[in-house]
Amino acid sequence: MKTFRQPGAVTMFMTVLVTCLVLFLFQRILWLVVPGLLALMIYYCLRPLIDWLVVRGVSHEMAVFGTVGVVLVITVGVVFLSAPQLLSRLPQMQVTVDRYVSGGQTLLRRTVQALEEVAPVLKRASLSRQVDTQIQAFTGQFAERNLGKVTLEFLKWLPSLFLVPYLTYFLLKDATRLKKYLIRSIPNAFFEKSLLLFSRLDESLRSFFQGLLVLTCLDTLCLASGLLILGVSPALLLGLTAAVLSWIPYLGSVIGCIMVVLVAATDFPDHPSIAYTCLVLFLCVRLLDDFVFLPLTIGRKLHIHPLLSVLMFFLGATVAGGTGLVLALPVLGVVSVVGEVVAQVVMDGRLRARYRASRQLLAIGTTSET
Amino acid sequence: MLRKLDVFRDLTFKEALEVDELLHERTYEKGEIIFEEGDIGHGIFIVVSGKVTVDPSHEILKEAVLEFGPGEMLGELTLFEEAPRFATVVAAERTVMVGLFRAEFSSLLTRNTKIGVKVLERLSRIMCQRVRRLLLRERHQPSL
Repeated sequence: MKTFRQPGAVTMFMTVLVTCLVLFLFQRILWLVVPGLLALMIYYCLRPLIDWLVVRGVSHEMAVFGTVGVVLVITVGVVFLSAPQLLSRLPQMQVTVDRYVSGGQTLLRRTVQALEEVAPVLKRASLSRQVDTQIQAFTGQFAERNLGKVTLEFLKWLPSLFLVPYLTYFLLKDATRLKKYLIRSIPNAFFEKSLLLFSRLDESLRSFFQGLLVLTCLDTLCLASGLLILGVSPALLLGLTAAVLSWIPYLGSVIGCIMVVLVAATDFPDHPSIAYTCLVLFLCVRLLDDFVFLPLTIGRKLHIHPLLSVLMFFLGATVAGGTGLVLALPVLGVVSVVGEVVAQVVMDGRLRARYRASRQLLAIGTTSET
Repeated sequence: MLRKLDVFRDLTFKEALEVDELLHERTYEKGEIIFEEGDIGHGIFIVVSGKVTVDPSHEILKEAVLEFGPGEMLGELTLFEEAPRFATVVAAERTVMVGLFRAEFSSLLTRNTKIGVKVLERLSRIMCQRVRRLLLRERHQPSL
């Protein structure tokens, strides 16, 4: 991708403003935004495969139908195969969650006690008792209180998730036509700019989603390898879950880390050092993510200044909560590209003059025809 | 219809259909500017019907044929790099053109090398003819 011209202060301010507005609106139609984003992600992952099939002589329609069909069959197969196992474990789920929570509690209690031994001032402040009360209030019958809510929330999202294959299929099948159709309605004066806009949007979104997937794979690999070395199992599942959770900036990583530490603390109650090492592993992977993987995958391709990214995370979280946090970066990327091209059009007097002249010519043409 | 255009003459019916997906049809009224000198160009235009004329502000264009008719291509200087347009082109009558955008053309080249080679060969041939005529100071259609 070519380097883009740096936007001016007004453009940047408008970009941030519009991003906040979009995030706020997205929060209202989350039932559509989530499947839409998932469909876009799958679209960008499957598109190279479709292109490969087309080059090898398969018609576009057939390639799309076949690929989406195979992916759908595999997904349904996995769900149906794992569903009985999952359902059989459901009654024990509550017990399992409570066991892990209590494992974490024990670890925390031991840690605080160890701290009190090192620093007697903490003992005098009865830190241990205070922490214990707090933990008890938070984790008391944790599973009983939250498992039902989580299940209900999942059931609420289920119909919306059924939209994903449908949207993916039509994106893969008709994206080019849709783009052509949209461009057709744009006046001649802005034709080339609109082509540029669509191309950059496509590139930004592709970079983001493909980058996100590469990042997830790298995170999974690093975390799973670390957990495997530490003997925490199931390493791959834990690594993958934590990597997917880190799609939610900051908060996701914390949740992922807590999850792994809980598992380590419960499975190795007599070796708290393993849980601490898991914590260090997470911190290392986080640092690797922020300073190596992220700039190499998503950050570099989206051309967003790190300071602006962080600012947008906070603004996004304020405007649209968790949704804003997750969607801040991709929405900012898209709005930046649109803002930049719109600013170019607005500031180009020649283009606007050409548009006015074209309208006059069209009016004259229509009048003479009638 | 696409295969009647010089650039796409060598394509098979199936290949032409694939290229057709990437082409953007535009209709320009008489006197309407297609592109202006100094604009950053992003691709080529091919005249489908009608006629366009070039406004020759550069000395080198004074001797050139300044009209492009059906099947003829213009704007190729910006098909491979982001560069300013060399001249202003205006529709001499109601003209239908198709535009091929650089990014889409590049993706086609990498995606389907067979089509890419055929189109590139045609494009190169047209450009060679234009350069040769320019060097021999013959009447030529300029590369814009």
